[in-house]
Amino acid sequence: MFIAKRALPRRTFLRAMGTVVALPMLDAMVPALSAFTPTRRFGFIYIANGVIQNQWNPAATGAGFELTPILQPFASVRDHINVIGGLSHLQADTFGDGTGDHPRSSAVWLTGIHAYDRAKPGVEVRLATTVDQMIAEKIGETSRIPSIELSVDYPTQGSCDSGDCFYVNTVSWRNATTPNPTESHPRLVFERLFGDGGSAAAREARNRSDGSILDSLRSEVARVTSSLGAGDKTKLGEYLDSVREVERRIQHAETEPAEIELPERPTDVPENFDQYTKLMLDLQVLAYRADITRVFSMIMSRELSSRTFAHIGVPEQHHAVSHHRNDPELIAKKAKIDVNQAQLCAYFLEQLKAAPDGDGTLLDHSLVLYGGGMGDGNLHRHADLPCLMAGTLGGAFKTGRHLRYPLNTPMSNLLLTLLDAAGMPIEKLGDSTGRLPLEPLSV
Amino acid sequence: MSSSVRIVVALSVAACVGVVIARTGDVVAQEPASRAATPAPAPMFTQYCVTCHNARLKTAGLVIDPASLSDVGAGAEMWEKVVRKLRTSAMPPAGAPRPDKPTYDAVATFLETELDRASIAHPQLGKLPLVHRLSRTEYQNAVRDLLAVDALPNEVRIDLLLSPDNVSSGFDNIADLLFVSPSNMERYLDAGRKIARFAVGDPAMPVLVNIHKLEAEHPQDERVDDLPFGTRGGLAVRSEFPVDGTYVVKVELAGGGRERNDLEVTVDGARAALRTIGDEGGGRGRGRGAATAAPLEFPLQLKAGPKVVGVSFVQHSEARDENTLRPRMRSRGTQPAIASVTISGPFDVKASGDSPSRKRIFVCTPSTRFARSGQAPSSDASDLDCARKILSTLARRAYRHPITDADLQDLLPFYESGRKEGGFDRGIQRAIERLLVSSQFLFRIERPPANLAGGANLAGTVYRVSDLELASRLSFFIWSSIPDDELLDVAIAGRLKDPKTLEQQVRRMLADPRSESLVTNFAAQWLFLRDIDAKRPDEILFPNFDETLRDALRRETELFIGSIFRENRNVTELLTANYTFLNERLAAHYRIPNVKGSYFRRVTLPDGSVRGGLLGQGSILTLTSYSTRTSPVLRGKWVLENLLSSAPPPPPPDIPALRTEAATTGKPLTMREAMAQHRANPSCAGCHARMDPIGFAMENLDAVGAWRDLDGFNTIDAVGVFPDGTKFDGVAGLKKELLRQSDQFVATVAEKLLMYAVGRNLQYYDAPSVRAVLRDAASRGNTMPALVLAVVKSRPFQMRQAAAE
Repeated sequence: MFIAKRALPRRTFLRAMGTVVALPMLDAMVPALSAFTPTRRFGFIYIANGVIQNQWNPAATGAGFELTPILQPFASVRDHINVIGGLSHLQADTFGDGTGDHPRSSAVWLTGIHAYDRAKPGVEVRLATTVDQMIAEKIGETSRIPSIELSVDYPTQGSCDSGDCFYVNTVSWRNATTPNPTESHPRLVFERLFGDGGSAAAREARNRSDGSILDSLRSEVARVTSSLGAGDKTKLGEYLDSVREVERRIQHAETEPAEIELPERPTDVPENFDQYTKLMLDLQVLAYRADITRVFSMIMSRELSSRTFAHIGVPEQHHAVSHHRNDPELIAKKAKIDVNQAQLCAYFLEQLKAAPDGDGTLLDHSLVLYGGGMGDGNLHRHADLPCLMAGTLGGAFKTGRHLRYPLNTPMSNLLLTLLDAAGMPIEKLGDSTGRLPLEPLSV
Repeated sequence: MSSSVRIVVALSVAACVGVVIARTGDVVAQEPASRAATPAPAPMFTQYCVTCHNARLKTAGLVIDPASLSDVGAGAEMWEKVVRKLRTSAMPPAGAPRPDKPTYDAVATFLETELDRASIAHPQLGKLPLVHRLSRTEYQNAVRDLLAVDALPNEVRIDLLLSPDNVSSGFDNIADLLFVSPSNMERYLDAGRKIARFAVGDPAMPVLVNIHKLEAEHPQDERVDDLPFGTRGGLAVRSEFPVDGTYVVKVELAGGGRERNDLEVTVDGARAALRTIGDEGGGRGRGRGAATAAPLEFPLQLKAGPKVVGVSFVQHSEARDENTLRPRMRSRGTQPAIASVTISGPFDVKASGDSPSRKRIFVCTPSTRFARSGQAPSSDASDLDCARKILSTLARRAYRHPITDADLQDLLPFYESGRKEGGFDRGIQRAIERLLVSSQFLFRIERPPANLAGGANLAGTVYRVSDLELASRLSFFIWSSIPDDELLDVAIAGRLKDPKTLEQQVRRMLADPRSESLVTNFAAQWLFLRDIDAKRPDEILFPNFDETLRDALRRETELFIGSIFRENRNVTELLTANYTFLNERLAAHYRIPNVKGSYFRRVTLPDGSVRGGLLGQGSILTLTSYSTRTSPVLRGKWVLENLLSSAPPPPPPDIPALRTEAATTGKPLTMREAMAQHRANPSCAGCHARMDPIGFAMENLDAVGAWRDLDGFNTIDAVGVFPDGTKFDGVAGLKKELLRQSDQFVATVAEKLLMYAVGRNLQYYDAPSVRAVLRDAASRGNTMPALVLAVVKSRPFQMRQAAAE
């Protein structure tokens, strides 16, 4: 089967071509396929420390909304996005739990649940399965990797408000007690998606070897678990669950039929933040195209981040700048960071738009949620959150509008609507009060 | 009976009440001790505390009812808070009437005695999962000790192969935060395969490409440690080479290049290649950061094992360079610099070779002649004997317990299939791959004693962990790694619970180089030293800061802490020592004369030097500063949090902007004047009145730790005043003040150490154990070994509590 080669337009990828990997046959590879059912894909991109809201929110609603300074980068995909205003995640508020407004912001984003301060006596880690994981379980179950979790803002080493750093280092939770770790290194992302560069035969051999290891682990874990009597076996349960899940992934990998040309694996983390983020997003576009994974999340900026943005004239740390205290200079700097992140998200959407997929483009068949759990970073308000949806999921939504809902409409309502669109309706999510009415594109 | 007596001794607690279940399952009732003789200090609370902390006002959510003093244990959570406030004289607040010092102490002692007694009667050891995943650091050290592989090349560096763990409450080894997910599992499989391939020296292993970039800020006009004398710049790469074969060293140059230079490649200090470079290199006119057109390549034949590969310039005798005023520029005018060194290989593998890891793994060799080459697989049973020997030796160490036949049966099928595929060595390699993802390697698993296993009605029962479990607790505490054979032997023989043997083992382990992890893992996390790597001091304001200085700052603190720990010094010397460790570069930064050369040596400081102790070290001063200026707030917070365990809460979000000039005159305010504003705001004052004075006393040291007399045009006023009126001047004054609170400092070290040792957050019910640790350590001079030993003897370290189902 012939597949058009397409090298990624970045130096890092250009060194050589030609790693051949077994990948599934793409709909896009088959011209004039009659009854095309698009594969639906989801992406969740998190931005931290709030935004400068009066430079994000358009004044006009509906299709005639204006591109505000922070939304300006989305000009090229304006018709493919909905800006959604007025949503809040009030479960991230304090509730007498003291500090931790930032950790609660990333914890609440895809759960609608208040994250309690674990350092207190008797409080244990407990959140909920995040929406991306629910969707991955449904639409990702036949793909090689049901979901992938990325971060381009390094996990924190120091203290995190309440001390619960695990709430800021990921926005994806496999279940109430297991946060998914994120991948930050382009080489490791590449290897995870496409294998570590060996031939298809080597990859098959590796899958066989992993398969027999996993099989053998199951009997070992059963033996070890039984020796623990009635004690707490939670961690071993998680381990066994992980063993089974990886086994399942390998089985799916064995059924992959087609071949595709890949760029050479990246070896390093680009020093420039924009290049780095674009490289990670490029890898995600590849993963979509090859249908290796249909769901991803990315921390584009981490709550409490101390990243500096010298390349856009902000040598100060992101979190420090977000507490602008109404100082015009700091507001301008935070807005620059917000614009920078919007540019990177828009870049990703443009790549999706440029990728043909069946009767349309990848963007047409995807839904990318871009936003965060903090509205006003200066005051730690979890109201009127930055929230932008891109793509129509194959015609499930109308796009090109600014929709504004009454202030403090739970963002959980939008998440319920997204779950509906993914084909897995549930009754309630976190503090949801109903579904967010998003007008469908065609009835 | 004897085992319970040992428990009592081990706890160094004279009075012991309640039920303790020994490992054998004996239920032992202990006689209750008589009540403390001191009368309940109700009048003091009525006189000084109840005015605010009563049921109506509930100031700070705290209600003190003097009547409840008859049963202090029932209100342990509250009374522990009260004790802390009393011991630090933090309450009653400054300005309010206060009792005299003897009353403070008597009341605190009364409460502590009651609390300790209650805690023995009704022990609470917190919830520690039975299954504790190894942290990434522990995995890394375990692999090092198991397979004798150290200095792994970048591509197989474990801190890249595995996800970072969450640093919460200060440490990354907290059991309930060491999560397990399919992503982790995939990474463990990947890491296991790569490490096994590397350690066994698989001749079929793929080429590894390892790039070492020199940051533009790495000056290259001095000799680099580990490189020969008479060379300049470059870098030394310490790395393991997996097999005998060809490796290619590729060097990219930056800038310069107009003059002839000799580029030398060395292996373990001996010249391996030399090449002359000059104008023809095409580097003319290139600026900083630009690489010359063609990288230089040097193919080298290397034997398997660890090596130091050096790339540098041969030092010419003429004047070194004219650019000392621009220390951040790596390109020295006419002199070239090295931008990156890439080591790729192996190519053209000759043999697996004789690396330390192969020596560690292959404790026997198969007798069949061709078995190892893979050309003539043999079915000789003696091969299997050898494989069993190799694998049971490895598995015993890796799993930290005697190996059962079932354990071996998990591994042997992998040996068999690998052997069929590629010979004996490949078989061992496959089995090691399997071993490295075993649940018994990846998790520390503690089993309840058999008589407790099924009994939910025994919830809350306290029992001693087994000798083998204690051995693992010890080694992961002191070494951040697996036990060695001696420790395992002692534990298997059942002798580790014996206090004398235990102490002997602790001392032996502290004397072992692996105890360096108490510096690099415990202390580095405790003091946030890892943050120094992320600091980016402003290039224009601090032109003297570069990567060499950053390394030197970190090294000084590590050497210093290591010396305090190893030399049996009182841990308060961390604050007060009159010596430090310097090389020429750092000494110049500190303006200390007569220190020459790049190696670190101990330097005794003159009387009155600002540099003795952690507070005068550039590492701490830099990591508590912003990129453009010092921050008295960050420094004050760091001291309160890490040295006095009284961290202030984070600020409220809606902070009003600090004015930077005076409202009336428009004259710029000094830092001190600007900060006086938010101490005037009552909602800020509570914390800032404690933080800011500490930071003010350190203001003579700038954002990279260099001395300064002026801040801008203002003379620095380094006087700090605490809310209670205590006044101190400069770092010297601050040190004296901290020394006055040295009990609180030692208590902080003990708390951090206990938390790190057991891998869970401490709660109010751990306070009696911390006090026991402090009493024990104080009797032995409050040295690090004394603290470690006291922690090892503590209840949370030696015992467990059966969880409620």
